[in-house]
Amino acid sequence: MPPSIHPVDLITALRQKHLTPAIVFLTSRRACDDAMETFDHADLLLPPARQEAIDVALERITVQHPSIAEHPLIPIVRRIGIAAHHAGHLPSWKIAIEELMRQGHLDAVFATTTLAAGVDFPARTVVITQSSIRKSRDFTDLTIGEVQQISGRAGRRGKDHVGFAIVTPSPYIDLAVLTKGLTGQPEAINSQFTISYPMVLNLLKAHPHEQIQGILAKSFAQFQLNQRAELLEQKLDAVHVQMEPFGPRVCTDWITQWHTFDHARRHRHTRHQTHRSESPEISARLPFLTPGRVVGLGKGRGIVLRQYRSKGQKNSMLTLLRPDSAVTECPVTSVKEVYDRTYDCTETPTYPWCSTETFDRLSHQLAELPSHLPVLPILVPLGFEPLPDAIIQSLGDFPCPTCPSRPACQKDFTTASRLRQEQQRHTKSIQALRTSLWHRFQERVEVLQKFGYLTPATQLTIDGEWARLIRIDHSLLITELIRAEAFSGADPSLLAGVLASLAHDDDRPGAFPRISPGLSSLLGQVRKLAESLSPYEDPPLLRADVAALVERWVSDPALTWIGLCRLTTMAEGDIYRLLARTLEFLSQVQALKSTHPGLAESASQAITLIRRGVLEELP
Amino acid sequence: MTTDELEQLLAQQPVALLHRLARGRVHRHFRAGKRRLIELLLQHSSQNRAGLESDLETLIGERHSPLGSGSPHIHRAPAITPKKASPRGAEPESAETAVSLSAWLEGLGVPSPQPFVPDPWQNEALSALNEADVVISVPTGSGKTYVAVEAARRAMEDNRTVIYTSPLKALSNTKYTEFSRIFGPDTVGILTGDRQENGQAPLLIMTTEILRNLLYDAASGEIDVRLDTLGLVILDESQYLADPERGVVWEETIIFCPSQARLLLLSASIGNPQDIADWLTSIRSTVCRLVRHSKRTVPLRAGYLHPNGKLTPLFKTLGIPYGHPSHLHPEAKRLFLEYEEETLPTGRPRR
Ligand SMILES: Nc1ncnc2c1ncn2[C@@H]1O[C@H](COP(=O)(O)OP(=O)(O)OP(=O)(O)O)[C@@H](O)[C@H]1O
Ligand SMILES: [Mg+2]
Repeated sequence: MPPSIHPVDLITALRQKHLTPAIVFLTSRRACDDAMETFDHADLLLPPARQEAIDVALERITVQHPSIAEHPLIPIVRRIGIAAHHAGHLPSWKIAIEELMRQGHLDAVFATTTLAAGVDFPARTVVITQSSIRKSRDFTDLTIGEVQQISGRAGRRGKDHVGFAIVTPSPYIDLAVLTKGLTGQPEAINSQFTISYPMVLNLLKAHPHEQIQGILAKSFAQFQLNQRAELLEQKLDAVHVQMEPFGPRVCTDWITQWHTFDHARRHRHTRHQTHRSESPEISARLPFLTPGRVVGLGKGRGIVLRQYRSKGQKNSMLTLLRPDSAVTECPVTSVKEVYDRTYDCTETPTYPWCSTETFDRLSHQLAELPSHLPVLPILVPLGFEPLPDAIIQSLGDFPCPTCPSRPACQKDFTTASRLRQEQQRHTKSIQALRTSLWHRFQERVEVLQKFGYLTPATQLTIDGEWARLIRIDHSLLITELIRAEAFSGADPSLLAGVLASLAHDDDRPGAFPRISPGLSSLLGQVRKLAESLSPYEDPPLLRADVAALVERWVSDPALTWIGLCRLTTMAEGDIYRLLARTLEFLSQVQALKSTHPGLAESASQAITLIRRGVLEELP
Repeated sequence: MTTDELEQLLAQQPVALLHRLARGRVHRHFRAGKRRLIELLLQHSSQNRAGLESDLETLIGERHSPLGSGSPHIHRAPAITPKKASPRGAEPESAETAVSLSAWLEGLGVPSPQPFVPDPWQNEALSALNEADVVISVPTGSGKTYVAVEAARRAMEDNRTVIYTSPLKALSNTKYTEFSRIFGPDTVGILTGDRQENGQAPLLIMTTEILRNLLYDAASGEIDVRLDTLGLVILDESQYLADPERGVVWEETIIFCPSQARLLLLSASIGNPQDIADWLTSIRSTVCRLVRHSKRTVPLRAGYLHPNGKLTPLFKTLGIPYGHPSHLHPEAKRLFLEYEEETLPTGRPRR
């Protein structure tokens, strides 16, 4: 049996059961294109009347979007009434396919899941062949919401009595994910609020520093944090009630008294041992090697999942999450660096020592870490000596031998101490939930002050005034480049090339034109600056090859779209998106006309030069 | 335990357990079928056999603990059951209650043309907009655009301007065409990062980022006069609020949206729309009403198509058995098990 149904058989089956028009969601663009190719020799021709109808419809669309006139896929689409629709195509071609589908000329479209969002593109049937999708660099299971967006395309109002969602297996399918997705309630959505440098500058431009906390409090992020804080406050109230019997006794703070004593007594025996086997450097690290901590090893990095002692091992041991979700064990001595970065980690008592959500998230976070991470400074206590045993001995077995409250205290201590710890933990968490956004804002303010965009009194400096207009990714890098006059005298094609390499965040490899020496040295400068900024802003991929492509498009007005596409293995749609993103970045630089007239002029020339051919068709 | 014994023990476990076991051991384990998973786990166990065995025992123990014993799916496995047990015999399904293929395919077709009558929820949303902000959370394809169009029409009749935002440039372009057809080309404009078409029109379409930037410029004194007359802001596909990279832009836009303008958030079905509405009520001068429903306007049926071309309903019931993911059609279940059995580890045909 084949691992998945042959596209021709699939379409035949759908036609036979009158389940067309259908959208067939496939895992990748490649899969969509391959599926189209299988029809090359298939005997599935549309009746001539329908072929002509497609011609007429396409002619009408071509008036608005001339770039589709000679599209190489037109012949196959009109012959079989089936098309592919994915991000590798030009927007105008996608519009044409959507329009053909809307008018009922097509029987099926092979598409990637990007189609699921927003585009009004309904069909009688959707065919689902996958249960996970590529998100950044990894495959993740479809959420319930996503399954419902996909299946939601089935059944057109006014044109269908019922819609059909048909699952057909491929080696990538987990049926449980899909059945859960079809029958479940969509997930709750959570705030993804982040505080960026331009946000800080723009807020401080319009509002005095002391009002900002109130503005941040209006975010959905804070709304959700407050919900969590309120839950904790209820728990805290409950703890308060439970604590009532353990109020002040003969000594007001009897719990602390007992705690101190208990602590000393318990550590009397172990103290020596721990310090015998571990060097001061290692033991100073131990308190930091807690679950969620990022560490550097001889080769690569890891995130601590647990710390434990193992019989027969001299040193404490760590369980580490390594790249590709591997879990390994190693002694603390193999840790080379302790980084100033930790992630939340919900611990569990069994392998892999954290909840599955945490595990998946940490795996992802580990993969996404920037190449440079600040190292945590750890003070090593010199000549640390434990308390002399004599002192501890002198504590005796009990601190308050004559106190009348002693039996009661002794009886209640365990419960009271646990409750008080819980109380302190909740109080701390509530505090953190209420103020974390503000702290993150303050951190950003400090960086902007350090770089001179803000005065110590949090006013915008002259540089801050224009820097706030750069509201895109990598804004700090871009404004620092402008301040370093990296672009002064650079011609529009170099500026566009550099911005393209900043705007492009896809790591798919490809073949590209050679890069000019001018652009190459400018990119070297950008890379160096990006590295030095990495503690404050994640460095971009900085692909020289895509920069070269955009440079060519801008510097050679005689280059046609087809000519440009021939220079690279990138798909048309990707080139279009690259240029469109570059335009966005350029237009932000263009906004700096009053402070940087030369640069703004260069940006505006680049914009005019980019906007030709297909790039002129759509606003 | 020998490798064979381990393999047999693994084969007796449900896939879900294998996936739990594979977490942290097998990269992208969720993409593997049962056979493949077992193979990969065994491969992995060459490095740390003891760990795998003990975790497997823990997991089996958890399943058989008194807490889990209520579950009907546990077959308390005798030491070793013959591995070639037919998948058919796995669980006696009440086949007679399952829907038949012909019934499942019945009723498909094109309804006769009906005059357009707004749905109750559409009217409810429109009248709520008279005195409140509105969050709409309804399934895909329900007709949110109608509400947007009518609301825009009413605002413009009141001499107010309207801004409509979408997350994608492609979607903005589609809406630009659609709205121009409805309201006439002079009434509708579109703003992108570097271009304006008909930028003074009363109904402006843009991406949410552009609106956010406009609002920042307005807040810092570079007043855009048009914001004074702004009567309605429509944020389509508002579930983007949860987008890891861009979600923050929706929050900024909502926080800085002028108080005299009504907000209309259109969203696909999400789990907590009431939270969104409560949030808006808590930060804006008007209350926010939630309009939601989860019933699809065109009913949905799910099917299973086997690679050999055989079609069967996916669930026992005609419609989707909401809340009951395990109510699979016995035929679909059988075929899928067969599929998992027959696809080789690499996912290529056996022969
Ligand atoms: N009351 C109604 N009666 C009949 N048809 C309707 C009604 N309201 C909307 N429709 C039709 O339903 C179809 C889908 O509407 P629309 O595109 O607005 O859905 P949507 O909710 O925006 O979906 P999406 O989640 O895809 O954005 C359109 O063809 C529209 O004409
Ligand atoms: Mg819509």
